[in-house]
Amino acid sequence: MTDRRTGHVILGINVLVLGYLPAAWQSPLLAKDSFVDPAYWEGIGRTAERGTLDAIFLADGPALGDPAYDANPIKLEPTVNWGYVAGATSHVGLVSTASTTFNDPYELAQRLLSADVLSGGRVGWNIVTTRGAVSARNFGLADVPLRDDRYERASEFVDVATALWESAATGHDIHHHGEFFDVDGRLRVPPSAQGRPVLLQAGGSAKGRALAGRVAEGVFAAELTKQQAIEHYRLVKGYARDNGRSPDDVKILPGLLLSLGSTEEEAKRRSDELYDAGPASYSIGWLSQSIGYDASKLELDEPFPEDVLAAPADPQTFQGSIGFRESIVTQIRRTNPTVREYLKQTRYTGSGHAGFVGTPEQLADHIEDWFHAGAIDGFNLQPDVLADGLEVIADELVPILRRRGLYRHEYETTTLRGHFQAAAPTPAW
Amino acid sequence: MTHLALGLAGPHLIELAGNPALLARWEALPLAYTVLGIDRIDGSGPSPVTLDSSAIGASLAARTRQARFLIVASPQRDQPYNLARRVASLGHLSRGRSGVLFGAADAYAVPEPGGLPLTAATAIDAARVVRALEQSWPYDSVIGDRETGILVQSDRIVHIDHDGVYSVAGPLNVPEPPTGASLIAWYPTGPDDVVADSAPIDLIVGPGTLLRPVAGQSLAEILTDIESRAFTPVPPGPLRAALGLSAPARAVGGRPAFAVPAPNPSL
Repeated sequence: MTDRRTGHVILGINVLVLGYLPAAWQSPLLAKDSFVDPAYWEGIGRTAERGTLDAIFLADGPALGDPAYDANPIKLEPTVNWGYVAGATSHVGLVSTASTTFNDPYELAQRLLSADVLSGGRVGWNIVTTRGAVSARNFGLADVPLRDDRYERASEFVDVATALWESAATGHDIHHHGEFFDVDGRLRVPPSAQGRPVLLQAGGSAKGRALAGRVAEGVFAAELTKQQAIEHYRLVKGYARDNGRSPDDVKILPGLLLSLGSTEEEAKRRSDELYDAGPASYSIGWLSQSIGYDASKLELDEPFPEDVLAAPADPQTFQGSIGFRESIVTQIRRTNPTVREYLKQTRYTGSGHAGFVGTPEQLADHIEDWFHAGAIDGFNLQPDVLADGLEVIADELVPILRRRGLYRHEYETTTLRGHFQAAAPTPAW
Repeated sequence: MTHLALGLAGPHLIELAGNPALLARWEALPLAYTVLGIDRIDGSGPSPVTLDSSAIGASLAARTRQARFLIVASPQRDQPYNLARRVASLGHLSRGRSGVLFGAADAYAVPEPGGLPLTAATAIDAARVVRALEQSWPYDSVIGDRETGILVQSDRIVHIDHDGVYSVAGPLNVPEPPTGASLIAWYPTGPDDVVADSAPIDLIVGPGTLLRPVAGQSLAEILTDIESRAFTPVPPGPLRAALGLSAPARAVGGRPAFAVPAPNPSL
């Protein structure tokens, strides 16, 4: 290799409410209701901006899981939540997840463009098709449509939203008559500082990746191994090229679950304490949902049976994420652990999303390695507890990356699209 | 003298968001509340430009400390579950300074072929869903008990099982704001807008209760006009308290959404 990749990485934060571990709420830095406290959310925005981070991201779903032991199911509405944070910040990008299954394209396009105007061009929309009958029952439906139908609706939804954003700039009505939507009219919201919101896509199904290649400017991927990440990176960049776009037009940002400490031992201790304080049934429940099999029926001290690892019977009705399942099965096949070993090992290495437990210096090494390998354009970092984990990212990780020439010292762009475009170009492959 | 409430149209929202001096003048007025985009539902719209009402509400919640506001909603191209989330989220982030004003139809929204009839009955049913969802999760069920590992007494969260014009199971995925369920107002525009069962409606808003700018009046002109008027100032505080409205009654006997959480044993 003579052409070492130059430029900077993209750093986003996946703000999983208080942190990705269920026991995050027990942090002494938090009040019992921090997840709805405006001061907490302002603090997230301000700390991210102190680290000149590119974007903060909110996952979402229109239903409530049991919040008895965990703040993760509790969700302020993302466009309102980030609209509030936008009022307290000036540069950081603000990405909201919104479902194409349970929204209307006119209403959502109007709301997102308004938020984009009000934030000075910092809004992104993470396009998802929602899973699960629990969500459907909040919208008068018995269950969600089949996966293929959801993605067809998503594809048409995005086209309508994009055309409406165009209409806001031109002042001309659109006349869309498709399979799912009929829209005659235009938006009366002014164009934003970046023109229109940035489109992002999450999810690793074939249809999801195809949609990303066609329209997305960023992808929140789920990657456990560097080799698989490189393959998926090239796949999606290739789809973009097939659609007449530059590979630089779509940025690939896998999630990375983080526990950081000033030594590796301290980081592991932090992670262990947080896991021990959380409900034991969680890891089994999570695994069950992710692989589409009741993991409580598995022998904890036996390896995974082959029929469990085989593809789910019907990808149309499987309720989990196909991308997560694929990365989990790949990881299990590599080391053939027992169920108990796998559940313990994923404390440190992650499951679905990759995990990282170590020091900021080691994390910088990891980011640099994957960046130069052509596996990523950046990471969407998911701290175990945001209240102190985000400060370590802003005040310790970012300065290390800056010293290595991998990150900017000041914001040099003002919009989310500007931040993405200023990042390193795609390496040749 | 009575208190004063203000109705802003689309172009005023753009001026308010983009001009810090006007924002400071507006914030300093001891108004009862301001409607963010009255021209969506009062028959006067659409104007050439506007902003989504919840989007400008979220921004104003962060950029002001005292101003109270109603976002504007109609069932047209919206879903009550999504709307309830925005209303409840604003209630938290504004510390109780926000509420929602319903109308039957949205002058800015494009027609929705095959959609629900844009009548008072549809809008009021959406309002009922919003109120029930906001109350589906009592705020004081959030206990954060580190001893037992229980964050929320989730057995106190209930399904709403609403079966009217809309069919919505609930519960909402955010607790009720600590200041209580958001104020719900209704803007009637026709003789068929008579509401027989007004259970979720706290306030009726109409031309007689709201200062409406005349056509073409700029935000600066409106503010100058108000600054010269004599009216009863409304002191800072949450919207419901400012209007002297008591907390709405809470339905009893809802179907629990979750089992009683047991103290969480460590691994």
